[in-house]
Amino acid sequence: MLEVREVVKSYDGRAVVNRVSFEVQAGEIFALLGPNGAGKTTLIRMITDILKPDSGRITLEGKPVGGEARHLISYLPEERGLYRRVPVVDALAYYGRLRGLGARPARDEALALLDRVGLRDYALKQVQALSKGMQQKVQLCTALIGGPRLMILDEPFTGLDPLNVLLLEEVLRERRAAGVTVLLSTHQMNKVEEQCDRALMLNRGHMVLYGAVRDLKRQYADHALLLRASPLPARVPGVRGVEAVNGEQKLILDPDAQPRDVLKALIAQDVEIESFSHSAMPLEDIFIKVVREGLGLDHGQSGPPTMDPVPAPAGPGAAR
Amino acid sequence: MSLSLQKALTIAQREYLTTVRRKAFLFTLVGTPAIYAILMTLMIKPQMSERVHQMRNFRVLGVVDSSGAFADGEPEIRGAVATDLSIVGPQAKSEAYRIEVRMLPDQAAAERALRAHEISQLLVIPADYLGNGRLRRYATGTNIFSSVDERAVSGWLVRSLLRGRVDSLRIDRVARPARGMTLYTLNNDGVFEPHDERRELFDFLLPFAFGMLMGLSIIIGGQYLLQGVAEEKESRILESMLCTVNAEELLAGKLLGLGAAGLTIVTTWIALGAALGGPALAMAQVHVSPAMLGLAVLYFLLGYLFYGGIMTGIGAITNNMREAQQFSFLFTFMNFIPFYMMTSILGRPDSGLAVGLSMFPPMAPVTMVLRMNAPSAVIPAWQIALSLGLMAGTAWLALIGSARLFRIGLLMYGKTPTLPEILRWVRQS
Repeated sequence: MLEVREVVKSYDGRAVVNRVSFEVQAGEIFALLGPNGAGKTTLIRMITDILKPDSGRITLEGKPVGGEARHLISYLPEERGLYRRVPVVDALAYYGRLRGLGARPARDEALALLDRVGLRDYALKQVQALSKGMQQKVQLCTALIGGPRLMILDEPFTGLDPLNVLLLEEVLRERRAAGVTVLLSTHQMNKVEEQCDRALMLNRGHMVLYGAVRDLKRQYADHALLLRASPLPARVPGVRGVEAVNGEQKLILDPDAQPRDVLKALIAQDVEIESFSHSAMPLEDIFIKVVREGLGLDHGQSGPPTMDPVPAPAGPGAAR
Repeated sequence: MSLSLQKALTIAQREYLTTVRRKAFLFTLVGTPAIYAILMTLMIKPQMSERVHQMRNFRVLGVVDSSGAFADGEPEIRGAVATDLSIVGPQAKSEAYRIEVRMLPDQAAAERALRAHEISQLLVIPADYLGNGRLRRYATGTNIFSSVDERAVSGWLVRSLLRGRVDSLRIDRVARPARGMTLYTLNNDGVFEPHDERRELFDFLLPFAFGMLMGLSIIIGGQYLLQGVAEEKESRILESMLCTVNAEELLAGKLLGLGAAGLTIVTTWIALGAALGGPALAMAQVHVSPAMLGLAVLYFLLGYLFYGGIMTGIGAITNNMREAQQFSFLFTFMNFIPFYMMTSILGRPDSGLAVGLSMFPPMAPVTMVLRMNAPSAVIPAWQIALSLGLMAGTAWLALIGSARLFRIGLLMYGKTPTLPEILRWVRQS
């Protein structure tokens, strides 16, 4: 669907995006992560053809972004606004028309979207008369109208109340079911864990994590188990320490101990087990660890990522 | 530069409709000529009324004649004062006045009579008046905007000095020797034609009106562009827009839509002016050639593209409307500079100054329209061609530069760029 190859963008001799390569599959929700200043917005602007890369290649469904492919992408930037002194339906239909819809279909789709987000009754009101949350939902609709194949959403949950967060999640699932690809840039790691299939993390313009969210969590999991059980025997083979974590007991395993052997040992000792699981590191902790400790795939030295690799580029990319 | 005409037209349509539906647009459309008409009425009407009032109250002129040259002076002054400034009718309306001339024995008695309002004004003619021409006139008040009373007194002096020495016909001629003189001047076709007073007024008004409309239409369109771009940048709309349309499409749509909004205003004003002033124009045999109109349209288009490009660039590099207005002031002012030199341009349309200004793109449209409408102006074709060529070249450069600034500047927030940074953006984009 979306393929980014060896993309580089520099300002004043400093690379803000440095040899970044990844691909996003059709119908997946893909997270773009990174601390402030990591190069996410610059990368998104290159994907949307607002900025041109210095080198490298970005294609959407096999075609270079920009030109005809422009119709296929919608973008909800983090810093966003709407035309304020026009009726809501007109503000929305305008985006539809720019994505190639006729006047009538654009208006019909705008009304349908407003209905979907619970704003049908506000269709003829001026945008400036809407509350901030309502405006945010209209902004989301601007990214939905016109049937884009790739939606790029930058911090879409910010400013939404819990009910509207649920609504947005529902809408994202619907779009995904319809085969739409979503590139989600957010700092809300719990949302990434809940919603996203795969993720890419940038730090200072370099790729530091890339792969399926599940695999990333496994990769950074510590060698421990989470157990809810009572009573816990004084000594369990393969366990070298125990910590209390949120009402559970975290069993720190010996380096060569296997979880199934520990489970067998617990059962053998007649321990009443309520729950037993791997102790996975929350994505947020992985994020902090990677950024603070400079870990990851590419510390600014290497080329393309090694995990979940993408095919090698066919040749040197060129800026259009 | 890839450009989808359909997208540009969609943007143009939206820009045009949202602009013309605004209350501020309607206010400019109707309010500006209304305010202008009210101001003109407020300025001219009282002035006319004051002249009439002044002569109605001027009933008696007291004269103390120590020279003896006016012993046989006229006993009264007769004349008429215009009551309106109509240029439509064959004759302006007027009101007749009659002033009694009362000879008084000495200045002290005359001043007492003036203070007691027995006389309206006092004229003291010293003994050596014929030698040095010095006179003293006394009044209880004066009007700095009107000298109609002075002209009445002056006429009496001429008539009284000559009374009994020459016949009345000669006196009339001496009093207003050039009243019946007709001036013949070369018209644009190279033929001498009579130059009547009303036509003289139009000779001034026509270039002024054309030039002003040209300047206003360019600047109104440019200001709409500046405002639109600055507002959209300030309200962070553009980033999501630029994902769907490219900078060139956005720029082209704005240029078209907002230029059309500016033209709507000017066209309405022209239609309004033609409806109200049509009879006067017809009576004064004022005609505008199609070639002149065609050139004016061409200058408008090039001028609008030039200033539109500059205003768009300013809107793109500044952070808010206030900053944008400050930057644009200089360019708006440049467009109107030819009006400050109008006397010189209309008086000598072939002078070095007039030719130079019409080759300088920021001032060329207004200057050239002034020159083309100046009485007796014959502008060589090469000057028009060179001026248009220079305009087209600079308009193109302004558009290219602004498109580049537009592309980068729209996404830059915070610090306003310095000139070297702006130049670097234009080079790099």
